[in-house]
Amino acid sequence: MKWENFRFALFEKAPEALWEHSLIVVITITLAILISVPLGIFLSRPKFKKFGLVTLNILNLLQAVPGIAVIALALPILGLGMKPAIVALLFQSLLPIVRNTIAGLLGVSSDVKEAASGMGMSQRRILLEVELPLAVPIILSGIRTATVYVVSIGTLASLIGAGGLGNLIMGGLALFRPEYLLVGAGLGALMAIFLDRMINYLEHRITPPGMGAE
Amino acid sequence: MIELEQITKQYPGQAMPAVDKLFLSIPKGEICVLVGPSGCGKSTILRMINRMIEPTSGIVKINGEDVTRTDPDQLRMGIGYVIQQIGLLPHRTIAENIAIVPRLYKWPKEKIRKRVDELIVMMGLDLEKTRGKYPAQLSGGQMQRVGVARAMAVDPPIMLMDEPFGAVDPIARTHLQDELLRLQKEIKKTIVFVTHDINEAIKMGDRIAIFDAGKLVQFGTPEEILTNPINEFVEDFIGRDRVVKKLNLYLAEDAMQPIGCVVKGNELHTAAQKMKDAGAEVAFLLNEEGKACGQITVSDTEEFGRDIEGLRKRVLRTEKAFVQTTTPFPDALSLLLEYDTDYLGILKGEELCGMLSFKGIRKHVYRKEGE
Repeated sequence: MKWENFRFALFEKAPEALWEHSLIVVITITLAILISVPLGIFLSRPKFKKFGLVTLNILNLLQAVPGIAVIALALPILGLGMKPAIVALLFQSLLPIVRNTIAGLLGVSSDVKEAASGMGMSQRRILLEVELPLAVPIILSGIRTATVYVVSIGTLASLIGAGGLGNLIMGGLALFRPEYLLVGAGLGALMAIFLDRMINYLEHRITPPGMGAE
Repeated sequence: MIELEQITKQYPGQAMPAVDKLFLSIPKGEICVLVGPSGCGKSTILRMINRMIEPTSGIVKINGEDVTRTDPDQLRMGIGYVIQQIGLLPHRTIAENIAIVPRLYKWPKEKIRKRVDELIVMMGLDLEKTRGKYPAQLSGGQMQRVGVARAMAVDPPIMLMDEPFGAVDPIARTHLQDELLRLQKEIKKTIVFVTHDINEAIKMGDRIAIFDAGKLVQFGTPEEILTNPINEFVEDFIGRDRVVKKLNLYLAEDAMQPIGCVVKGNELHTAAQKMKDAGAEVAFLLNEEGKACGQITVSDTEEFGRDIEGLRKRVLRTEKAFVQTTTPFPDALSLLLEYDTDYLGILKGEELCGMLSFKGIRKHVYRKEGE
């Protein structure tokens, strides 16, 4: 191991890789939330509950395909670059968020919903003012799982030219430079831990006092 | 006034309708209790009034207007609704919970704040301590107070209460019942109250509707039902001690008799003569301030003769054998038994205004029974 290589990896290569990686994670998770939360809401409505199980099974299947296989499959269909990588990662990050959205919404006490509806709150209002606020901690917990997942699987995205921390890891492997590997993997791990803690903190912040979550 | 006309509710997949061709007319400004064993359809009936459940057939009318003409959310905003599980929003403070319906009506903020404060005080809760708290920080009894306050927020003329006090401990329940009755004297709402507890029904109801298997079995005042149960089911449901239960409906003043004779503290030696002159079986002793402090019976005077001090001691034994005009019969009976006496003095505040006797209670109940 050479200090020189280490320094080069950390200060010359890492900033760009980290930026690209963050971009992939943020875009993927944002899209995943935009798709999953409405989908979860939809599937938790009494009328559409019957579709819930089917959808969850499909998402489960998608989740079960190894990340590297999804990335590899994305290549011939979607080509190279960041866009196909994000699409591939998206498939893998939907499940935890959809699942937790449904669980969170269905977990809201039926007494609370009954009382709200008995007072004349419309279904829309109940969703926005009662169900979603009460489900948010659980939805966030799903987002946290998905985020950590995308950070780690995101390193594989460099295989199809999306860049990111994966570049450092793959580069290190190809050039027999363990310093690159160390920096890429280390930063990836730090990023995952950081995001995990940050969202965890958010979960606690928005859980109203007296709800007895802890 | 709420009218149910030929209401039937048939749940899919069930052989028997939950509610079967029901006619019921609930008068304005009264508490009407729907009571019956579980599964008799009483909650279903309640929930059809605010369209939480839609009847299979039949019409529900409020003040002559068919409820299906109003949008369900609008209808419910105008009807107070209290359920056993309370259902406070756990992520909202007590003040915010009470403010829900006023907010739906888009009241101005200042008006909402004032009303919320007023209701918290009205429900006997500590204003400053309660407002900012979350539901989980309150006891069951306090939560149900908030539940009732929330239902009364916009002062709706009708309140629906589905076993509202069923989940709170017995002491809190008694308090809540007493307070609701006290409030009702002022607010005069039309309250439909569901319970499975016949004692609660007798206590709370101006009128009681007894249901069995989706059918109305008997509808009447508690007195009518306890006096003339229409069939064996009602007899069983209200219990074999129905006449004892009926005692709860009467107050000491209902069977009050005039005082035959009073004796001042320093005239105890004249008691026997005074009672003889007045033809009274009992006399009440007044102390220097004119306050009643015991009773003397003819047999007491015979037993003690000239032993005035002995007599005084005996009289003071019954120092607390007094009831207020508003004391219900059961409490008065308990005192009669406790002091092993036939009479109780009736006080209005501090002042002696009459007496109650075992015989009087019996006569009063019998007279009602015979009617």
